[in-house]
Amino acid sequence: MSLLDKPTESIAPPLVNSRRTRVIAVLMALVGLFTLFVFGLGSGAKTHSSLTFDPINVVSAPIKLGSLSMSVRWTDVVLGLIIIALATEVFVRQPRRGVMARFGGVATLFLIALLSWAARSPGPSITSSVNITSILVGSSATVMVLVFGALSGVMCERSGVVNIAIEGQFIGGAFLGSMIASTTNNFFYAAIGGLFVGGLIGLVLAFFSLRYRSDQIIVGVVLVTMLGGLSSYLTLQVLTPFPNFNTGDIAPNLAIPGLSRIPILGPVFFNQSGFFYVMMILVGVVSFALFKTRYGLHVRAVGEHPRAAASVGINVIRVRYINVVLGGAIAGLGGVAFMAAQGQFQVGYTSGYGYIALAALIFGRWRPSGAVVACIIFGLSVYLSYDLQTYQVPVSGYLLAMFPYLITIAVVAGLIGRVRPPAADGQPYQRD
Amino acid sequence: MRLELRGITKRFGSLIANDQISLTVEPGQIHSLLGENGAGKSTLMNVLFGLLSPDEGDILINGVATRISDSGDAVRCGIGMVHQHFMLVPVFSVTENVVLGFEPTKSFNRIDYNAATEDIRRLSRQFNLEVDPDAIIENLPVGTQQRVEIIKALSHDAELLILDEPTAVLTPQEIDALMEVMRSLASAGKSILFITHKLKEVKAIADVITVLRHGRIVGTAEPTASESELATLMVGREVKLTVEKSPYKPGDEVLHIRDLVVLDDRGLVAVNGVSLTVRAGEVLALAGVQGNGQTELVEALVGMRPVLSGTITLHGRDVTHLTPRKALDAGIGHIPEDRHRDGLILSMSVADNLVLNTPRRAPFASRGTRNLAAVSENAVRLVKEFDIRTTSIEAPTSSLSGGNQQKVIVARELSRSLEFLVASQPTRGLDVGSIEYVHHQIVEHRNRGNGSLIVSSELDEVLALGDRIAVMFEGKISGIVDPSTSRESIGLLMAGHTMEATSV
Repeated sequence: MSLLDKPTESIAPPLVNSRRTRVIAVLMALVGLFTLFVFGLGSGAKTHSSLTFDPINVVSAPIKLGSLSMSVRWTDVVLGLIIIALATEVFVRQPRRGVMARFGGVATLFLIALLSWAARSPGPSITSSVNITSILVGSSATVMVLVFGALSGVMCERSGVVNIAIEGQFIGGAFLGSMIASTTNNFFYAAIGGLFVGGLIGLVLAFFSLRYRSDQIIVGVVLVTMLGGLSSYLTLQVLTPFPNFNTGDIAPNLAIPGLSRIPILGPVFFNQSGFFYVMMILVGVVSFALFKTRYGLHVRAVGEHPRAAASVGINVIRVRYINVVLGGAIAGLGGVAFMAAQGQFQVGYTSGYGYIALAALIFGRWRPSGAVVACIIFGLSVYLSYDLQTYQVPVSGYLLAMFPYLITIAVVAGLIGRVRPPAADGQPYQRD
Repeated sequence: MRLELRGITKRFGSLIANDQISLTVEPGQIHSLLGENGAGKSTLMNVLFGLLSPDEGDILINGVATRISDSGDAVRCGIGMVHQHFMLVPVFSVTENVVLGFEPTKSFNRIDYNAATEDIRRLSRQFNLEVDPDAIIENLPVGTQQRVEIIKALSHDAELLILDEPTAVLTPQEIDALMEVMRSLASAGKSILFITHKLKEVKAIADVITVLRHGRIVGTAEPTASESELATLMVGREVKLTVEKSPYKPGDEVLHIRDLVVLDDRGLVAVNGVSLTVRAGEVLALAGVQGNGQTELVEALVGMRPVLSGTITLHGRDVTHLTPRKALDAGIGHIPEDRHRDGLILSMSVADNLVLNTPRRAPFASRGTRNLAAVSENAVRLVKEFDIRTTSIEAPTSSLSGGNQQKVIVARELSRSLEFLVASQPTRGLDVGSIEYVHHQIVEHRNRGNGSLIVSSELDEVLALGDRIAVMFEGKISGIVDPSTSRESIGLLMAGHTMEATSV
């Protein structure tokens, strides 16, 4: 009997289930059709709106960009067609990579179409111009807080511990930060306080999930609930009777000479509070540490295959302790940053940003860079859910606020691309 | 490196896993540690690698008594271990896995990947261990992953390599390649401790054989000893290594699978257009390296996994989209590959596990109420008939040994009248005595004129049981041959070569 023939080279059958990709394509196409018919053809032929790019504070802008007036109908028809084209491409070609990126692009195009439609004139809106720069600046505080939270999540989950307590660390950081900033009038001390309290909450999470191998999700949720209660109690007992502890100062912007005067980019990136710059640096530092250094390799090994890490002498439990505490500290700092942008601590005012940050972490595939992109999209939609009220849009802002969660559900359900968490994420480790 | 173990004893409660073990491995020697599952081989290796600390005894490395308190110590002493379940991070590259824990660094704690890659290239040239340093582990075949494990150990300057059941997941050709590597390592002066329960391999490669049974060394043997001598030493009594079957008399077609397509958990195609036929009075053995779609095929047959396309018929009746319960009712018996996950409810009693497939039926239940007397009666009868060793029929199944747990499943499945039997890795992890028994039961079932599909990654088992042998590779049937075919030819099919002409 002759058996010899060429052996096949590949390992896994490359055929991917195409049904999910098709579902995405159909979803994208629906968004495109909606844009085309409601925003585009639904607007009168004569309606127009304009985009402006100059900061509100015109004095600081050396170069004026003026405004870009456009026909709402044709702009949104074109945007709708682009979305439909992307949907068709996904449906026909079924690319294996980049489906998520295309989906992000579609979301962005949709938001632009929504804005130009909301501001249309003649229409219900008070103003017919949409100031892109002020939207970006306005949402940057939200984005910043989400990035701190998502980085915290990256640190913890890459080492295999789920940090649901980010929201609690925000609350703790914001509360303590407000007290310190109010009494010392120094945001640096407030930041130290935030790092401390966030790290401490991280330590509690680490202690229960690593020492006692408790369910990390439950410990995290308990911590958030507990801190919510504690902050209410302390607000009532301390902040209300002693308003000097909660003066609600906002951290000053530190304009970077020269750079801050670049149109659009300047106000968004270089005329911000110190917290924003720290956040930008932190993104780079976490990325570098995780993917270039020995420390990062150990962290990722511990998060993917702790037994393999242990077999080469890496102390799994220690790596996890360190990362959960560091991650907690980052989220605590995020809480202070939130307070420094919003002012006065109020009960419940982090309004679930910690969970949106976790969603951004998943959407960003557990990478700092991806998480930043997700934070921008999510931050924008959270901001717009408030901002759209000024355009008298007949749609509730609460519906738009659901947007990040809808995207996240789609992502987690595996509808858009395949996300793969670190293999040991959430798994207690036990030496045998 | 010269390794000497003196009087190593390790107890777990009242159980003595290692009892006064003494052995010596000389430099350049391939020393085989032969024993059944549960004989204490793994415990001994974990002691040696610092994962367990011995209660008594000494480890001497080059004549010096050494304390090994964790795996880091072991590596620093020059001991490298290739675990049975690879200790590789699937999403990391080869280089990342090799350097893990021992990274060469440059400024800012950055890992010097160029230096690491050079090191890997040098080792792979020196010992003929071909591997691409940039490949991602999960994309590599198992044999290559094992090479990475060996390179990893060597890059940490291992002088003694422990290979724990290294051949369990390999094709016959990969096993040959591994043996070549072992020989070249030995001739370069490395010592090798080779742990296995496979007699053929021991005879092929070992310089010295130490046999372990019930935690004790029961003897040493030369590689010239016959397989049956080794088996007798290992099991403690004489064992039959072949299964006696009545002559092959295939009857009517029982099971017919046509163009079956099934997805795995990740949504990838695992079974890719498989067509098979099984006749009455026939065992069709499905061979193949694990992970080539056998699991998914079996799960689809018994209703545990949806079928994407294709048909399955049993006696001409369409059984393609049955739920597990309907599949049971249709008379399909199933011995699952993972008995703890799919075969038993470990916390429940032996008696309850023996009726798991028919809990709602008379006589075990009527009008929604269980008939416990009938359940007990059934258990007493089957425990006797199938020689299940248990303290009581009410004992939790978890208290039974692996072999007896498997007997519970076999008893449950084969004690009712079946139209068809599907058995997946029916003897995995069993001792030789239990293997003999399970094989005997399967052959009895066949001799009664029933059809069976037996999936196994053990070639010996496939050859012993199969009346015809189908080989599966990457979701397809790469060939169907009869059991007189040489091991080499079947090995080629397992590695993905296809047949030019199907002669059966």
